[in-house]
Amino acid sequence: MISLLQTNNASGLKDQLGNLSEDVWMLAPEISVVITLLLLLGFDLLFRKNKETGLAAIAFCGLASTFTLLTFQWVNFSTDFMVMGKLLRYDQLSLFLKLIFTLGGALGLVIATRNENRNYLFRSGESMVVLFGLLLGVFLMTMSVNLLMIYLSVEVVSICSYILTGILKGKKKSEAALKYLLFGAVSAAVMLYGISWLYGFTGTLDITSQAFINGLSEVPALPLAIALIMTLGGIIFKLGAVPFHIWSPDVYEAAPTAVVSIFSTLPKLAALTILFRLVNILPAEWFDWQLILGVIALASMIFGNFSALWQKDVKRMLAYSSIAHAGFLLVGLIAWTEAGNTAMLFYGAMYLVMNFAAFLLVAIMEKHTGSSTFEDLRGFGTALPFAGVLAVVVMVSLTGLPPTVGFNAKLYVFSAIWEAYQVQNNPVLLWVFVVGLLNTVVALFYYLKLPYYLFFKAGPETISKKLSATDHIWGTIMVFPLLLWFFQSEWLMDILNSINFVF
Amino acid sequence: MTEYLLTYIIFIPLLASLVVALLPKRFADSYRVIALVALGLSLVLTVIGVSSFDSTASGLTNSEASLQMVEKVEWFSVNLGSLGRFSVDYFLGVDGINITMLLLAAIVLFIGAISSWNISKKRKGYFSLYLLLSSSVLGCFVALDFFLFYLFFEFMLLPMYFLIGIWGGPRKEYAAIKFFLYTLVGSILILIVMIGLYNSVYDPVKTGAEAGMFEAAASVTNEQITEVQKQVELGNVESENIVKSFNMISMANETNYLPDSFLSRSTGAQVFGQSARWMAFLALLIGFAIKLPAFPFHTWLPDAHVEAPTPVSVVLAGILLKIGGYGMIRTAFSFFPDSAYHYSWLIGFFGMFSIIYGALNALAQKDIKKLIAYSSVSHMGFVLLGLAALTVEGVTGAIYQMFSHGLISATLFLIAGVLYDRTHNRLIENYGGLAHQLPKYTVVVTIAFFASLGLPGFSGFIGELMVFLGAFKSASFIGAIPMWMPVVATLGLVLSAGYYLWTLQRMFFGKYWVKDAAWHDNLKDLTLREYLMFVPLIAMIIWFGIFPGTLLDLISNSVEGFTHLMVQAVK
Repeated sequence: MISLLQTNNASGLKDQLGNLSEDVWMLAPEISVVITLLLLLGFDLLFRKNKETGLAAIAFCGLASTFTLLTFQWVNFSTDFMVMGKLLRYDQLSLFLKLIFTLGGALGLVIATRNENRNYLFRSGESMVVLFGLLLGVFLMTMSVNLLMIYLSVEVVSICSYILTGILKGKKKSEAALKYLLFGAVSAAVMLYGISWLYGFTGTLDITSQAFINGLSEVPALPLAIALIMTLGGIIFKLGAVPFHIWSPDVYEAAPTAVVSIFSTLPKLAALTILFRLVNILPAEWFDWQLILGVIALASMIFGNFSALWQKDVKRMLAYSSIAHAGFLLVGLIAWTEAGNTAMLFYGAMYLVMNFAAFLLVAIMEKHTGSSTFEDLRGFGTALPFAGVLAVVVMVSLTGLPPTVGFNAKLYVFSAIWEAYQVQNNPVLLWVFVVGLLNTVVALFYYLKLPYYLFFKAGPETISKKLSATDHIWGTIMVFPLLLWFFQSEWLMDILNSINFVF
Repeated sequence: MTEYLLTYIIFIPLLASLVVALLPKRFADSYRVIALVALGLSLVLTVIGVSSFDSTASGLTNSEASLQMVEKVEWFSVNLGSLGRFSVDYFLGVDGINITMLLLAAIVLFIGAISSWNISKKRKGYFSLYLLLSSSVLGCFVALDFFLFYLFFEFMLLPMYFLIGIWGGPRKEYAAIKFFLYTLVGSILILIVMIGLYNSVYDPVKTGAEAGMFEAAASVTNEQITEVQKQVELGNVESENIVKSFNMISMANETNYLPDSFLSRSTGAQVFGQSARWMAFLALLIGFAIKLPAFPFHTWLPDAHVEAPTPVSVVLAGILLKIGGYGMIRTAFSFFPDSAYHYSWLIGFFGMFSIIYGALNALAQKDIKKLIAYSSVSHMGFVLLGLAALTVEGVTGAIYQMFSHGLISATLFLIAGVLYDRTHNRLIENYGGLAHQLPKYTVVVTIAFFASLGLPGFSGFIGELMVFLGAFKSASFIGAIPMWMPVVATLGLVLSAGYYLWTLQRMFFGKYWVKDAAWHDNLKDLTLREYLMFVPLIAMIIWFGIFPGTLLDLISNSVEGFTHLMVQAVK
């Protein structure tokens, strides 16, 4: 839009429009998401009764077609491309993320079907429509290279998240949604203010343009730091890292499990991409973002892990764990090497898989015990050993111990940061390395709380001992890769290595 | 014949564990049989391996040529861009240092399986976890790739956590989590060093192949390896072509360190204002000292032992502690011999301190299992002292002590188990004159106590004797530890004689008396199953006390190679 407005003559406009129509192919997956959204909306309006099957069918078909389009684009990918008048960027990084987001969306819906509360997503169309809006938002976030577009896509995701949190009735849900909204609004305002400074400095919103970098190079250190930190604020809010993390425990506890599984992964990784694009254009001499992100990462790990120790509810615990994981996700970014980027992406992808597996099991537990507090899960593992063992595997993986892929992910990011330290000799990196790894011990303490309650404590006899076949299958499908990829992580790594991060 | 022997030894228990896990509940009675057969098979294969071990082979611990029963297959190799290739091998092998540990592990695990015979609660979970633990313990001793070693090392924590936490005593949850957290702190320290090391060490063979200096499949000569090392030294090899290695044998060889890497000896890099190599050594040392355990990292041990069920205590004291000592020899001392020499006084001091401190604590205990646990701390102090001496006698003594303590502590925990099975009470003060009621049991106890306090004729004596020989020689030979350390440590011998004899006198001699009259009916002498455990253990303790050569032949060449490298590094 901006570049459109900047061109004054009519022929320029015509060219631009011509380009836009060519760009449509690049945006096919997004268009597929939008069409699905419209179909869901239409279906919801036209039919009154028994909508569940129809909504689910449309949603899964939509995701499938999006996935097919993305795979097609991935296979035929030739070169990076700026689309929509340099608002968005079409590259392998965004394609990869969109692929795993689509998978994530599908897994989220699967989790919703496993839950008692499943009517939430399938009975009426609103939630589903908003969910696809969120998916569109995260798609755009991964591609945004224009400050305004970044802001818009972050807001699309945020607004959809507020609605999804508060759409069900209940005091807790309203409180969480309101908290979320207030925090979100403040951080969005801060971010917008930061963006306005950056625009004032450089006269452009396109972060990839030379004018942007040249403009920033002339700004004194302090105002630049203020502007950048404010801009980072909104992104860190989406990442759920300290100090913009306070919303997450309440939201995680109040929102339905399926929705939380999506909240905890998709927007986080999308925010990480924006952060990645933003810091990669900044030469470290002007602005020591490694230090700032290092402090944020460490604070997130320490705060997240220590707060998680005291939680009485699995979902709240996972919320704090996700704050800690936001810190770990940043580690690869801080390394600021190609290996670091690959490791970060690997960690991100694995985090997504682990989290969906964790929330699937939470959903199954909720179905059987009607609650997600540790107290109510006593003896669950003894009653349902298969689900219990799966939960142990997932918790071990989240802790980052072998033989699960969580260990590989941790090993790669910390190897990257060690290697970066060897080259750059920046003490921040060493601190992140040592403190980050030692945090695993704290993490183990609370992740083991789940196996502890599942197996060590005797529970009531009322827990039904029957695990449905579908739960068996989905549990295996989601947890088995965590073990498999420990032994064969090169499969994924080879894909990630083919991604060209330079831009 | 011995081609895949080590793999069989590790994977038979793993397979059995899966079988137990998948077998329906109505076969519950067969679980223990499966466990016994699987571990028996592993033991037989281990004995075959030991008997075919060539004890005359040269034993330089940094050369793959001195390994036997080697299995080396590439497991995975990940390209990490500028980080180079990340290559992990499935690499197993034995030399004089770990063959004894493998033998010990196989023996104790088998005895543990017999001891598990009367477990009645949740048998499926118990035996499948026990077999899983066995598999990872055995793997840990023979894995020579750091990644693989670490996998086994970490993986034994989880089964152990559940074994203590579900089948343990009244404070089992506390003990289980304490055990897990303590050990995890240690393993994170090890992980930190592991990441640093693999970024510093490369594999010359694979690097040469990657850089196209020779065909990958061709048999590589020593000259070619030297050529690769020269080219890397000169910086002529592209960083993408350098294959980083987790090979623990190459890590012990200085020439395999990348020239400008952090942990190579020539760089002299610093971390937190200290030499990076010193810090890395300390991290490894602490990591394994927690497992050993040495003062001041020992506090998890009494809790874990007291709460753990008897077979788990046996495995814990008999084998798991030895991984601490073995890990120090294989990693910390081998990779950083210069730092080991630098810190030898510290290691020696903590060894000496653990001996005295453990013994004094044992004197004060009221619970017999706690007494044995503290005596373990004391006896593991000898391992540290022997290692710190950096002499052939000292290191041999340390390994011998680990082996002998493995057998003796297994016996001692079984002894505590016998009493606990009958009365569910382990307080020393509640018993008196048991010799009248349980004469055979008393004989076993007396033999075990005397063996543990280091009476000549038992294996414990040989280990401690060699440790002292080495420690006294150290001051004049290499100057690693001062003379007063072994002098003070001898006090530990007196103290251990004190607590054992005192306990013997209080519990077994004098007038027969038990606190609760109801216990009297249950106090029956040893059963057949218990004989099956005690007789072989005691036979071995005496055998290795009278014929130490059986074990020393296996150990000696490797220890000579090991100390040779130490001396070389110090010069």
